[in-house]
Amino acid sequence: LGGLLSATQPIDDPFDEALSASESESDRDFDEEIDAQEIYDLIAPISDPEHPLSLGSLAVVNLPDIHISRPSSARSRISTVVIDITPTITHCSLATVIGLGVRVRLEQALPPRFRIDVRIKEGTHSTGDAVTKQLGDKERVAAALENNTLRGVIRRMLSTCE
Amino acid sequence: MNSDSEVPTLEPIASFQPSLNTRAWMTAPHPKLPILATASADKTVKIFSLTTFRQLSSITGGHKRSIRSCAWKPGTRNESVLATGSFDASAGIWRHDDHPGSNEAHNEESKNDRSEDEDDDWRFAVILDGHESEIKSVAWSAGGQFLATCSRDKSVWIWEEMEDDNFETVAVLQEHDGDIKYVRWHPEEDLLASAGYDDTIRLYREDVDDWICVSTIDAHQATVWSLDFEPPKNPSLIDSVGPDAARQKDLQELEKSGPRLASCSDDLTIRIWRRTPKGGAEDKPLRDRIPSIIRTNNVDEEWLEDACLPKRHERAIYSVAWSPKSGLIASTGSDGKIVVYQEFWRDSHDQDEVRSEGPPTETSREWKVVAEVENAHDIFEVNHVCWTVRADRGRSNEGEEVLISTGDDGEVKMWSIQRGT
Repeated sequence: LGGLLSATQPIDDPFDEALSASESESDRDFDEEIDAQEIYDLIAPISDPEHPLSLGSLAVVNLPDIHISRPSSARSRISTVVIDITPTITHCSLATVIGLGVRVRLEQALPPRFRIDVRIKEGTHSTGDAVTKQLGDKERVAAALENNTLRGVIRRMLSTCE
Repeated sequence: MNSDSEVPTLEPIASFQPSLNTRAWMTAPHPKLPILATASADKTVKIFSLTTFRQLSSITGGHKRSIRSCAWKPGTRNESVLATGSFDASAGIWRHDDHPGSNEAHNEESKNDRSEDEDDDWRFAVILDGHESEIKSVAWSAGGQFLATCSRDKSVWIWEEMEDDNFETVAVLQEHDGDIKYVRWHPEEDLLASAGYDDTIRLYREDVDDWICVSTIDAHQATVWSLDFEPPKNPSLIDSVGPDAARQKDLQELEKSGPRLASCSDDLTIRIWRRTPKGGAEDKPLRDRIPSIIRTNNVDEEWLEDACLPKRHERAIYSVAWSPKSGLIASTGSDGKIVVYQEFWRDSHDQDEVRSEGPPTETSREWKVVAEVENAHDIFEVNHVCWTVRADRGRSNEGEEVLISTGDDGEVKMWSIQRGT
């Protein structure tokens, strides 16, 4: 049957084009359907680096603190996900690691057209602004993730996500 | 020049092959040869040909982590010298013997000769150790005498090559309060600029035997990612100044200031800085470049905002590049856009118009966006943009300039500015 199909269908069959067009259409629909709940479901199971509990159960990540903005113009294809995380205590030394875990999880799970901004929720951490600035710095995140020890910590945090 | 008579567009000409398929951080065009060096997260530098758009070499083995930055030493003869800066906290110096008649060395005809041992052509000459954490940027001074490196360890180091492969540290500058993202030298003077995570720009020069900070610019509201100096004798203004007296005066003032500095930031602005000339009593333009003040006890400089470019970016602006040929400025960043800006003389009857984002000082000039591309690297972030001279068969004239962009998709792309008729 495969031989018959390939013999009767020219390579540049317009049907193929129609098919791929509808595929990309459905891709776009899929992207547009990503909502805050789905983002939450991706990050809630992440393990806290020092407790045997998930970020969802510790209320470090919360559904109302997830915001998605669509492309700003018809030509742009870039969407933005903003997540405000709430550290368990205001001087939590692991806030940066938790934030990195959330960022890495979403970078792995979402299509690359999403820009991901992980921030410390205002008023929930003694050095929240400094941590937010670090988490938003692509270069520092890239360099940090070349550290094997940190990569191991994040791998363990994300091991509960599958 | 009238902006309405021609509407330039940015057209993609080529993607250099093969794709790196991993984050590419930045690309440096060779000062003389038609080749590019691209620094990559895969710990290599790729050398690409501007005539064939193909990879000529992969420089490997020197660094243990991402190579964040690379820079060609200017003014070398019969060899090419490349400095690399890596997240492994070291800088590397690489040497390559250029073939006799080196203008031909990288053309298609000689490519076969090169391909057998192409990777061996690059010799890892020196490793420069000293920084405590990731190096973010490396830059040679205009004369090639000094190499500057900067790091997350909050220091800028200046190195001087005393003899072949023997580099001495001549300064360790610790002015910044955070990660230093970028270093850039003035095109005519041994004046160094650095920018960083503390939202500031610092300028340094040598005073007697010490390098010191001579100016601090702190008007940005977020990380300053990149800097570029204006080319000396910027043609975009000189060629169009005309007889208008106010313009002539402004141009004279600009010549006294010398090349301006452009900076781009996470605060979504690109700003132009201009040095306040010293010895304000002088009227004559400093065309002859004889310094009016040999040395004073006060080497401090004042750099004031000359302009803020029209705001087009929606996310962090990672790179700004001032064309040495045309005076155009290009920018790019996290939103994936490439934007090109041109400076125009303001029509004299526009002078009284109220400007919402104008600079604090009155000028007879204004910047306009003349070309813009969205999704320049598909849906990926664009990390770097720079200008170079086109060298492939499709060029329209000898001096045609093109833009080179470098992205998270591992692509290095060439763009041509097409001017409508």
